[in-house]
Amino acid sequence: MGRLIATRLAAFILTLFAASVVLFMTISVLPGSAAKSALGMEATPQAIARFEAQRGLDRPLVVQYGGWLTKTLSGDFGTSFQNSVPVGPELLKRIPVTLELATLAFLIANLVAVPLGILAAARHTKRSDKATTFVATVFGAVPNFWLATLLIMVFSLHLRWLPPGGFTPFSQDPIQNLKQMIMPALSLGLVSSALLIRIMRASMIEVLSSDYIRTAHAKGATETIVIRRHALRNSLIPYMNVAAVEFGFLFGSAVVIEDIFRLPGVGSLVLVGIINRDFPVLLASALTITVFVLVVNLIVDLGVGLLDPRRIKGSRA
Amino acid sequence: MAISTRQKLNMRESTLGRRAFLVSGTAMAMLPVMGLGVRAQDMTPVDGGILRLAFSADPAGMDPALGPSGMSHVVIEQIYSTLMSLDPDAQPYPDLAESFEVSTDGMQYTFMLRKGVKFHNGDDLTAEDVKFTFDRLRAPDSGYAYDSQVATIKDITAVDPHTVRFDLTAPTGPFLTYMAFPGSSIVPKKLLEGGHDLNAQPIGSGPFKFISYQPRSMITFEKNAEFYEAGKPHFDGLEMHLIADVTALTNAVLSGTVNFSNEIPPKDWQTVIATPGISGQTLEGSRFYWLLPNHDRAPMDDQKVRQAIAHAIDRTAIVAGTFFGQATPILGGVIPQWNWAYANLDYFAPRGDVEKAKALLVEAGFPDGFETSLTMASSFPAMVSMAPIIQANLAAIGIKATIDTMEIPRYWDEIWAPSKFDMTAMYWVSPLADPDDFVYNNYHSGTALNVQKSSDLAMDEILVKAKSGTSQEARKQDYLKQQEMSLEQMPIVPLVNAWLLIAHTDKLKNYKPMRSGFLKTIKDAWLEA
Repeated sequence: MGRLIATRLAAFILTLFAASVVLFMTISVLPGSAAKSALGMEATPQAIARFEAQRGLDRPLVVQYGGWLTKTLSGDFGTSFQNSVPVGPELLKRIPVTLELATLAFLIANLVAVPLGILAAARHTKRSDKATTFVATVFGAVPNFWLATLLIMVFSLHLRWLPPGGFTPFSQDPIQNLKQMIMPALSLGLVSSALLIRIMRASMIEVLSSDYIRTAHAKGATETIVIRRHALRNSLIPYMNVAAVEFGFLFGSAVVIEDIFRLPGVGSLVLVGIINRDFPVLLASALTITVFVLVVNLIVDLGVGLLDPRRIKGSRA
Repeated sequence: MAISTRQKLNMRESTLGRRAFLVSGTAMAMLPVMGLGVRAQDMTPVDGGILRLAFSADPAGMDPALGPSGMSHVVIEQIYSTLMSLDPDAQPYPDLAESFEVSTDGMQYTFMLRKGVKFHNGDDLTAEDVKFTFDRLRAPDSGYAYDSQVATIKDITAVDPHTVRFDLTAPTGPFLTYMAFPGSSIVPKKLLEGGHDLNAQPIGSGPFKFISYQPRSMITFEKNAEFYEAGKPHFDGLEMHLIADVTALTNAVLSGTVNFSNEIPPKDWQTVIATPGISGQTLEGSRFYWLLPNHDRAPMDDQKVRQAIAHAIDRTAIVAGTFFGQATPILGGVIPQWNWAYANLDYFAPRGDVEKAKALLVEAGFPDGFETSLTMASSFPAMVSMAPIIQANLAAIGIKATIDTMEIPRYWDEIWAPSKFDMTAMYWVSPLADPDDFVYNNYHSGTALNVQKSSDLAMDEILVKAKSGTSQEARKQDYLKQQEMSLEQMPIVPLVNAWLLIAHTDKLKNYKPMRSGFLKTIKDAWLEA
């Protein structure tokens, strides 16, 4: 067991290091100058040179990377090129927002996917199965930003039930927080449910065709009891593997949705970093998302490893 | 022009919302005089409430010396105060100064300061703070983006705690206007000498105190109860919602999430002002759109070719197609009708003059036209929208222009800064509303904005002379000559002046939009109960 954890942790650190190199190099070679983006149309050559010298942008790329990595490892994410705001504290304020959004979207995705997946599997090849598959196809085909715009038009501008954006912390006003979160979470969650519906359906179909399910039927158990007591638990194991990875992706999918709904999360910071070529902001926020996805994957890996009967057996031997 | 620095400041005349009541500048100018539509109870101030304003950009710093963007200035003018301020028609008036004197040769300005003015931290504001402020801006390594405004200051003397004297190296026509610029905001000497960072915690003597800033989200302010204009401001505070996506910004206005915006996109204007509870005002300011032909590339180096292009443009099509009617075609000089230096030059036909343009091309030796390209910054929707109109106009006289678009960071880097284009378009928003600011940076050779690489000694001389004129009449005559020269040489092709589109709640009273595009007059407004 200890070896498993050590192996996975080593892989985590190596992957994170590789990701940081790729992130830094990719961002550094993006066309467009950080200095000219910050200084705008009136940027003189002298002002550009001063800007780049002050921020070390005139140094070789490897030196820049070394400096950035050293500072980042010590917890210093630098300051924004655009507004001089320290990036680290800003990120800390934003992580809970994106985490809440991703969690709510994840809940919605599962609340939609599990029942629909079970329904489709239980009614395999029947109309409700086809209808569910159709719904999953639609959710999968709809871009989340389009769904977001549609939701705003209906629930904010037409019905006026929900605010079109903004953020109030849950601790300050839970109702207002949920009102502001429900549409962005739906935009992400419904689209994300498309994959999960298919996984749930496929997993359940496989379990329902098992011998022990046939035995349960032969013993006279009703369909509901068979699914609830016998099939559901087993079919959820592969489903949860995929769902956990999907949670990581939801955290990273918030970029455009946060901007549309004006949520001050990590995703909107990525966007502003790209648009303005604000390298410290872009690097720190993209790295945060990378870390989150890797951590979720690490937990899933370890969880699966721990639940694997062969491994459990092996470790007991 | 654009962009980050002077972005949100423009206006044309104006009007009232829902009834889509567009009126001419003259008629609008008369409205306040006539008192039309103003009920007595509307003019009784109501204290309290929070005004929620929407903006598309974040401030690039909140230290007056280091905040180069238009949004920085919108924030700075609420927190700090200036010796002079601009009224809604862009005329300077004494603000922190109670009065001022100008020597007859225009080389010395003496300001008598209000007494009892305090910074938000409780310190007194004195002449020493004024001297410190401008010495800080003038320092060689200050990094102040508007250093040309303080370039003619030779010396500043704090005569006594409430009198400060500026000695200049040369007469400077817009000097009083410069003193009203947000960059000229007075900062607390004692605090800054102690190492205080105004970017992190701005402290001034303006109507609102800074509370917090969350990038890409919101800036909050509270009322400065000690503000030197008794009884003002009326709001308990301000919330500036930062909404980069213009559709989200419009949605925020429509849904009432915010109750003020001066950045309504033209495409949404009719929808916004037709919404119950929302009023609209339009005002012409100085948001000039220009087509820039590159003088370093043939055949754009030929004056007649540039004239032909200028005459080929159908400006009414741009007004209708790009700005949905919310702009004024520039048919002569750039200086707008509302400004004292307006020259009333009737030069271009509103719909363009194809025959004249073709004749000019023949004179230039291009009877069959030529091939060229038009490179636009895709981040500016107006540029992308007007590109096909310009392309069609040019095609009508035989010029085949291909359109290229590029996102803004690449555009600054690869197109704008190195002047690598045949033709491009840009806009300029003047926050000063002084004729010098309308034309100098764009027409004078060697400036950062002169990416078209035009260069003419006579043009440079007239611009300098007009700037240093000591009387408004003398300056007006110089700007008349400058505009005539600009139409003859056609270093850049003026297109339209886009209006400022302001939408706010019906409950907002006594708000007077400013032609400079600034929001200084927010302190005078209130929300009806």
